[in-house]
Amino acid sequence: MASMQKRLQKELIAIQKEPPPGVSVNPANIGPNLTQWIVDMEGASGTLYEGEHFQLSFKFSPKYPFDSPEVTFIGSNIPIHPHVYSNGHICLSILSEDWSPALSVISVCLSIISMLSSCKEKKRPPDNSLYVKTCSKNPKKTKWWYHDDNV
Amino acid sequence: MASGANDDSKESESSFECNICLDTAKDAVVSLCGHLFCWPCLHQWLETKPTRQVCPVCKAAISRDKVIPLYGRNSSRQDPRDKLPPRPPGQRSEPEPSSSTSFPAFGLGDGGFHMSFGIGAFPFGFFASTFNFGEGRPAPSPNSQDYAEDQFLSKLFLWVAIVFIFWLLIA
Repeated sequence: MASMQKRLQKELIAIQKEPPPGVSVNPANIGPNLTQWIVDMEGASGTLYEGEHFQLSFKFSPKYPFDSPEVTFIGSNIPIHPHVYSNGHICLSILSEDWSPALSVISVCLSIISMLSSCKEKKRPPDNSLYVKTCSKNPKKTKWWYHDDNV
Repeated sequence: MASGANDDSKESESSFECNICLDTAKDAVVSLCGHLFCWPCLHQWLETKPTRQVCPVCKAAISRDKVIPLYGRNSSRQDPRDKLPPRPPGQRSEPEPSSSTSFPAFGLGDGGFHMSFGIGAFPFGFFASTFNFGEGRPAPSPNSQDYAEDQFLSKLFLWVAIVFIFWLLIA
């Protein structure tokens, strides 16, 4: 537990010092013992999400960084994207089976920005309504199929 | 990694940091792909995914034998890989007592001999005996110890049955 908080403390300092473009962390949005973060994110300019504002929730288990964080979009504006369900769950392989302890909050944010930025058409995943009705609250419990690596 | 720094001082500071705990590498090991870790951190990662051991940074195949320990000038000579981090102790709880074991097994030796003998309403079902014909267990081979024991028990119970019937008749 202690090593997890030490690492999260370092990550928090790093993301506040040198945030990726469009990303910011309000210290008031850091939960108890650093186990829950809310990260603010702006849609990158020149993309379909330019000018939009999103919020990402990060939840860290005591096994972090060996266990991936639980990352979902929250708030009133969930991006309309083929890999983002309307309940905020994100289909992204590094958030489950391709997670590595060398990844960080910053690299997850960069991956999500890049995922949004390469989108060509704003639409929900084809199975959105079924998934949102049947899924668990925790996206890490979903057995994701990564059927499309292009977006 | 994305958290690379711009200025040189920060660069030199972070170049000896473990890629997992982001702290200066303790009991440092380097993978053949060149990535630096604390051995306790890397060991925990290898234990997390024992079937798919890959470098956390570049996903190259990695294992205990594919990392090189680094020895600084005043560091201990002990191979860091021989020092495993203290692992959390296992937990074990006693099973719930099972209600299905209502009476102890009627064990007669351990030769696999099972016999039930019951009597219903006289004179029907007089021999409600079960002689375990055609059961799945392999019969003991002749001439073996088990076979002799089985034969003995069969005879014994046959005699018990005859004595019992006789007692019923004269009673």
